[in-house]
Amino acid sequence: MTRVTTSKLTKPRGGSKALPPRGGVSRVALKGGWYAVGFLAPLGILYSVYFLFSFGILGVVSTQRVGLTFRNAVDVGFQNFVLVAGDPAFQGALMNTIAFAAFSVAVSLSLGFILAMMLASGIRMRRAFYTIFLLPSLIPMSLFATVFGRMLETRDGAINEFLRAIGLGFAAQDWLGDPTAAYVAVGVIITYAIGLPIMYYSTDVAQVQASVMESATLDGASVWQIYRIMLFPLLRTTHITVILSVVLGSFRAFDIIYFSTAGQPGGRTDITGTYIYKATLGLDRIGYAAAASILVLLVALAFSVVQIIVRRKAL
Amino acid sequence: MATRSLEQSLPLHLRRGERIATYAFIVIFALAFAAPLINAVQTSIAVGGFENYLVVLTRSYNGVSIPLTFLNSAIVAVMHATLVCSVGALAAYAFSFIDFRGREVMYYGVLLFLAVPATALLVPVYFLTGTLGLFNTHLGVALPEAVLTLPFAVLLLRNRMDDIPRELVEAAVMDKATHITIFRHVALPLSRGTLANLAALSVMWSLQDFLFPSIVLRDSQMATAAQAVQTIRSAFAPTPVESAQYYAALVLLGVPAVLIIIFAFKYVTNGISAGGVKE
Repeated sequence: MTRVTTSKLTKPRGGSKALPPRGGVSRVALKGGWYAVGFLAPLGILYSVYFLFSFGILGVVSTQRVGLTFRNAVDVGFQNFVLVAGDPAFQGALMNTIAFAAFSVAVSLSLGFILAMMLASGIRMRRAFYTIFLLPSLIPMSLFATVFGRMLETRDGAINEFLRAIGLGFAAQDWLGDPTAAYVAVGVIITYAIGLPIMYYSTDVAQVQASVMESATLDGASVWQIYRIMLFPLLRTTHITVILSVVLGSFRAFDIIYFSTAGQPGGRTDITGTYIYKATLGLDRIGYAAAASILVLLVALAFSVVQIIVRRKAL
Repeated sequence: MATRSLEQSLPLHLRRGERIATYAFIVIFALAFAAPLINAVQTSIAVGGFENYLVVLTRSYNGVSIPLTFLNSAIVAVMHATLVCSVGALAAYAFSFIDFRGREVMYYGVLLFLAVPATALLVPVYFLTGTLGLFNTHLGVALPEAVLTLPFAVLLLRNRMDDIPRELVEAAVMDKATHITIFRHVALPLSRGTLANLAALSVMWSLQDFLFPSIVLRDSQMATAAQAVQTIRSAFAPTPVESAQYYAALVLLGVPAVLIIIFAFKYVTNGISAGGVKE
């Protein structure tokens, strides 16, 4: 709709440009180029320093064996890349990053959607519920994940104590020592981040025309049918938004893992973020960390291209 | 088309069974979502009661004073939000109102960096911070945070500015207005709501950031709230009293974010939603 409106407005302006007396307009248009330079300069400077120069630094450091002091660097060619790509821990971290992102998308499109529809359907104290669902997403994740991590402790963690208290002691797990249990724990904490998808759905469903739902209700449809058959397809662009934002968030999910499982057991729940962090600050292997960073950036930038294409088609 | 706000319901008439099921489902999940926070508060007063909060507010742990972390977090967050809103608004204006060669290509080039994870920039940010002499400064944290937020800011603000009627701009041009005048008197005022949303989100994201504070702010006096979660940990012994106090410290470190959610709910949620794909 915006595009159509814009194109309609553009034609009159084009026509007015054709009129010689309005040279002032063309004068402003001619000045646009230099104005653009001025308006874009701050962004250009920040991008040049923190993105482009950063990529350059990564490129140089990734070919060296060097520590955080950046002194006494020894050139090792592409050895760091070979070591990183061949490291089972890095391969596992990359697979985890993808798997956790996929799980996050799935839970957002299912549980997030259902909760949003229910909240929009005449529930009282709606704002209180929104706040509760948003809290885990908006307080420092280092804090939330630390609390959750403490709840995971085998002997006196709140989760196992709760399970024993309700007679499900057999379900108590060594959450940080058993790989399968640790994956379940990560899945649970990822689920806590559906507050943002709920907001997307809630805002967009408010735009759906009332008459559409009223006619369905008159036909005797249940609310579950309306959610699934009518609203889910209607919110197609919201699904796209949710998928894109959730996957973007997954690239940045460092805190969730670092503070809850810390990659335990034995690095099995590491993601690329925790892997790089440990290499940088834990092992002081800067060249190695830089090589891993470059590989991760390639994946992230590839995804950026995909989301730009998808976003263009969605408009 | 009638637009309903979050406060209004869908025109659905839940039957009795449907209503009961809906409330049950929502309440169960709300309790599950609140459980970690409830657990933290319960544990914090289990031994020693509310006095634990007074204790942790007045002591320092590994050199970190909790009230001081609030100040540090606030300074970084305000710097971050200021950078993002000002640089983002200028750039969005150029992409929306100025017709120059390569505009769309550059715009998508900016959006390309939406997916850059902070961890991938750890090494260069460490190097750059040292080169620029910004270790243990608030700006040293705000700059990389702002750079990672700018792609979203440009996206959000350009969407808003594209919605500004062109007639207003044409009228200004007829009055011989320059781009600077149009920016100050047309684009900025009409984008005030979006800028408020963006500022609220930027503050939230800055308060959440652990990574950059952890590598830039090595001086314990400079620690932010998100960073302090890690810094103070080893200062608490694994005794019942000190464990309770540790949880009290964690709860306190989360208070600023909770207050912002409660008081700036509209701005945070509007900012979140406005960043989506437009129909």
